[in-house]
Amino acid sequence: MAYLEIHDIKKVYPTGEEALKGVDLEMNAQEVVALLGLSGSGKSTLLRCINRLVEPTSGTVFLDGVEVTAIRHRRQLRSMRQKMGMIFQEFNLVDRLTVLENVLAGCLGYTSTWRCFFRAFHREDIELAIETCDRVGLIDHFRKRADQLSGGQRQRVGIARALMQRPKLFLVDEPTSSLDPKIGREIMDLMSRLSAEDQIPMLVSVHDLGLAQAYTNRIVGLQDGIKVLDSKTSDVSSDILENIYHTVSAA
Amino acid sequence: MAERAHSGPLAFPLQENPLRERRVIFRRYGRNALIAVLLSMMFYHIFVVETDWVRMGGIREIISTAAEFWPNPAFIPIIIDPLLETLLIAFWGTVLATMFAMPVAYFSARNTSPFYPVVYLFGRSIIVLSRSTHEFIFALIFVSALGLGPLPGILALGFRSIGFLAKTTSEVIENVDRDPIEAMEATGANPISVFMFGILPQIYPIVVGNVIFQLDINLRRAAILGMVGAGGIGYVFSEQMQAYEWNNAGTVVLGIAVMVIMGEAISNRIRVRLISGVGGDSKGIE
Repeated sequence: MAYLEIHDIKKVYPTGEEALKGVDLEMNAQEVVALLGLSGSGKSTLLRCINRLVEPTSGTVFLDGVEVTAIRHRRQLRSMRQKMGMIFQEFNLVDRLTVLENVLAGCLGYTSTWRCFFRAFHREDIELAIETCDRVGLIDHFRKRADQLSGGQRQRVGIARALMQRPKLFLVDEPTSSLDPKIGREIMDLMSRLSAEDQIPMLVSVHDLGLAQAYTNRIVGLQDGIKVLDSKTSDVSSDILENIYHTVSAA
Repeated sequence: MAERAHSGPLAFPLQENPLRERRVIFRRYGRNALIAVLLSMMFYHIFVVETDWVRMGGIREIISTAAEFWPNPAFIPIIIDPLLETLLIAFWGTVLATMFAMPVAYFSARNTSPFYPVVYLFGRSIIVLSRSTHEFIFALIFVSALGLGPLPGILALGFRSIGFLAKTTSEVIENVDRDPIEAMEATGANPISVFMFGILPQIYPIVVGNVIFQLDINLRRAAILGMVGAGGIGYVFSEQMQAYEWNNAGTVVLGIAVMVIMGEAISNRIRVRLISGVGGDSKGIE
């Protein structure tokens, strides 16, 4: 059984929009997989169906042998979400909190409600958060407020927060779309490095072909909620990809 | 006009319709005449029928009566303690209201209320009840339940203020940025942690500003609560009025005015600091 197994995931929003029309996906424990597709192709919905921020209409998701979609208890679902670090296009930081507090938010799932209420984090968590800031290159900024940072630095905070969850899987939603290309590559470099160092598989949605080719082992193409491509990055020639991507664009 | 368009051809163009002309004339002049008649009736009733001009006497007499309220300096030491008590009633009433208003706000914000709409409607009813009841009503209820003194005053102001604070706070909660909340949920945080880390940092400058504004209003309310026995300076005022000690009553009025103006100056300064972020690293309210 693969590390992450998605079987026949469908999602129909209350508006009637069919975002996913039965997607299958398997991922191994050491893989970095790109989800390629245009906006509206269902990439974000698929990522959110895995940690059930969006409840799939039907289908199953298994992570490391546990059926995520079968969890009924909210508490169990929360501890499952904790194992999946999510990184967002718009970073989703709390602007008024410091960088360190934003990073510490990553261990809210490990911390009791009373400790959260009084912001009394465990000493080792604070130390780990500072260490994590160092790993993402923010050691000089961790006391600053999150809204005082530049875009690239803000995404680093988002990465540190996800890393702080000690995740078994990274779900990355368009990490570079709000950044300029150079900074975007730095962010992709950082995420690949962390993913390799901590042996965390990564499912990353992108719409930039170049990034997908440069940083991932496998490319999965989505178009209108249907999987249209699934093959090793090295097996796909640039031309074919370009072709598929253009048919995607034309649709 | 619209409904006529379907009822066949007209005998004459709309502009020249004599019926319509008459209606326009009534609208222009008839309505104004009606308002004028009603206003003069009210004026007549209040200033001719209901006012005892004879007893009022001449202008000189009015001024000399009003002058009897000239503050008595010797009474100042006596009002210091009740004024401080008034301040404390306003303060603790606001603290109490804030403590209760926060959960009520959480329950009556559409995006955080659990089991929508059951708890939501419960929260909204508390807000309506609190806002639509005068503080004197609450004070009378608590005075009869707990006896005279500042405690019923504190409770009265507390119950009176829950509505405003909960309503404004719930509106701020409904308008928070959803993105950080999504991120908190993705970390596996429970709803209370999500509130503490995702929502509270976004809302607190506005909420603190509203609490200070409420404290300012409660200072005025606390100044008269004593008239129904709920502690504070109001009791001294009604006591002096009943004893025809006009000068002492004047001193009380002056004392209240000084206290309220000082309170307003201080609270304005704090709120401006909060909003503009002077002295802190805050960028202020978006």
